[in-house]
Amino acid sequence: MDFELSDEAKEAIGKAKEFARTHFTEEVAERSDREEQFPTDIVAISKKEKILDFSNPWKVLVTIEELVRRDPGLGISVTISAFGSEIFMLFGNDEQKEKYMNPVFAGQKTLGLGVTEPGGGSDVANIKTEARLDGDTYILNGGKMFISNGQIADYFLVLARTSPPPSSEKKHRGLSVFVVDAKSPGFAVNKLHGKLGVRATNTAELIFNNVRVPKENIVGEEGKGFYYIMTFFNISRIYVAAQGLGIAHGALDRLVEYSKKYGEMSETGELNENLQLAIAEIATRVEAARNLTYKAASYLFKFTPNPIITSMSKYYAADTAVFSTRRAMELMSLHGLTTDLERFFRDAKILDIWEGTTEVEKLIITRMMLKEEGA
Amino acid sequence: MEEEYEILESTVKDFNSKYVDNNSLKLENEAMGKEFVKILADQGFFSMAGQGEDGKGTDVKALSVVLENLAKSAPAVAVKTLMMNSFSAAVKEKEIIDSISNGSKSGTVTFSDLLVGKDQNGSLRMEGGKVKGGKEFVFGSDSNFVITLLDSGELALIKSGFTTGKKHKKLGFRSIGFSSITVDSADFLILSKEGRKVLERMYEELSIPVAAIALGMSEGVSQKALDYAKVRTAFGHYLKDFQPLAFDIASLVAEMDILKRYFHDLLGGTPSDKEALFLKHKALVLAKDISRTSLQIHGGYGYLEDFGIEKFYRDAMALSVLFHNEEKDMEKLAGLVFDSRAGFV
Repeated sequence: MDFELSDEAKEAIGKAKEFARTHFTEEVAERSDREEQFPTDIVAISKKEKILDFSNPWKVLVTIEELVRRDPGLGISVTISAFGSEIFMLFGNDEQKEKYMNPVFAGQKTLGLGVTEPGGGSDVANIKTEARLDGDTYILNGGKMFISNGQIADYFLVLARTSPPPSSEKKHRGLSVFVVDAKSPGFAVNKLHGKLGVRATNTAELIFNNVRVPKENIVGEEGKGFYYIMTFFNISRIYVAAQGLGIAHGALDRLVEYSKKYGEMSETGELNENLQLAIAEIATRVEAARNLTYKAASYLFKFTPNPIITSMSKYYAADTAVFSTRRAMELMSLHGLTTDLERFFRDAKILDIWEGTTEVEKLIITRMMLKEEGA
Repeated sequence: MEEEYEILESTVKDFNSKYVDNNSLKLENEAMGKEFVKILADQGFFSMAGQGEDGKGTDVKALSVVLENLAKSAPAVAVKTLMMNSFSAAVKEKEIIDSISNGSKSGTVTFSDLLVGKDQNGSLRMEGGKVKGGKEFVFGSDSNFVITLLDSGELALIKSGFTTGKKHKKLGFRSIGFSSITVDSADFLILSKEGRKVLERMYEELSIPVAAIALGMSEGVSQKALDYAKVRTAFGHYLKDFQPLAFDIASLVAEMDILKRYFHDLLGGTPSDKEALFLKHKALVLAKDISRTSLQIHGGYGYLEDFGIEKFYRDAMALSVLFHNEEKDMEKLAGLVFDSRAGFV
């Protein structure tokens, strides 16, 4: 058992740290947050400098963590341009990989994933978007909600129903994944405004009104879309856990810095114990979340994913992010309210929700455990 | 609850439905506007100072009932009301009190000197008959009058001659000014030579009103969650039918109900500092917990301002920072619980 990161991963951390220091200035972060503006220029630079090295998933993981630690909104914006690409990698054919995945990895195109619907949320199998075969094309009708990169993606991977479910208990059958070009006639986007946090990221509602999609744009086999999406979530949740680590560690950084500058001293001249204990608790939780996340990543990157550990890592890292930002806010008083910590506090909450709510993660953990034990 | 307070509660509910409920996001995000402030004043909501027993102090019961009910819909309006009353209670000049009561002027008390350490909140000194310098964290800096501590330890009312400086980020209560101020004023009054002591007392007297706002927020946000969980479905069931959500919100509502009873018990008598601080401490924690759970129940929609949930999440934390300091309040609370100085090695 080796807890050391590889030299390559360490280099990626250093590169991310330097990139964030240079480009994630407080002025840019504050403006992007206030104006809900996607940082197009910074994302372009990040692609040019190949900040995300998709050839090594460990490097991607630690880069996300490090960039988000500096600023969650900008960090996620920079690292989400290939969101969903693992679906191509695992289930796409050679043509699709060449045409859609490679330009995304090369930083030339942006990808989005359309799964969640206005009435659906966690209930993925209950989606209403339909794809009806008409000659050589499918015709898509429906809508998607809370879609990252919604306004800026060139292509979307979209989950739609292609055949009725065999029964109400088997709604997950009959769903398929399609690649949809954002320029397709009948496709429309509404940007969502007024988010609590991660306001630099681009989030939108997608509308499909008789959007024609070539038959060859179906990814993998027809009817297996639900399985593909769940497989993808078991990958993406590890990256969301990395976002949680970044936010929690960012809050810890700020609290430690505060304690050095302004921490109240006890009469013995030491930092007050209340503050010392809070720092220790946050630091311990960050470390525990990191160990869980890296363990989940270790299984996944060896192609032996462990959904239990993956869900544990996502749930715990998200909870740690929310916990850490809250405790730091409470302890830093007006200093927390008037610095970028308040942004971290707002940003953290989304991690409890996206890529599977905390409640869903917990249910997955227990159900999988019981299944393993043959219960 | 006594009949007069039930009538007051009903008045605030009517006020909310007429002026606040359909406007709460705007009242949270944008300056409230003179017209709305005048309406608030016309209700008598800014005139509870000087209405206590023997015409002294503040009618804390009435104020708390008003704050609790305003906070259910618009926490920022409740906080504005608290600030106006807190300010009025500290001054004696009839002209100024009248201008606050009728909503034509506004005032704020800077408690930041108590909330952050020495030398972190700027400096105000007397020079040639003037007050000069600046203060860092002035909540309500868009007010006409500011009460603040001077370096000399005196508590001063600055009537004019100050300008707002760097605007601070606004996690919550975005319609209320929050910035530094720069002062160069000959137009001031010294309210007390023992300023810190007076300010400490004023801060302590906020315990129940602040708890009232926290409780009102908890009631407002939890009601939204309960309503939503009854109509929103997932996996073929209403959200309320799922144990994780149902049990979480039920547990928090139970806590809220117990605190509300305690709150009303205290309002019925003369609460001690310890009881008031118990209430404030628990009410602030509850507001943060219940707003997180309520947002969670709303899922992605809770994260969007249109659903009126996320503002409670922000405001609950902002309230617990602007009118509370963990270190300071817990030292006080521990001392009261142990009946002697506690929490110091």
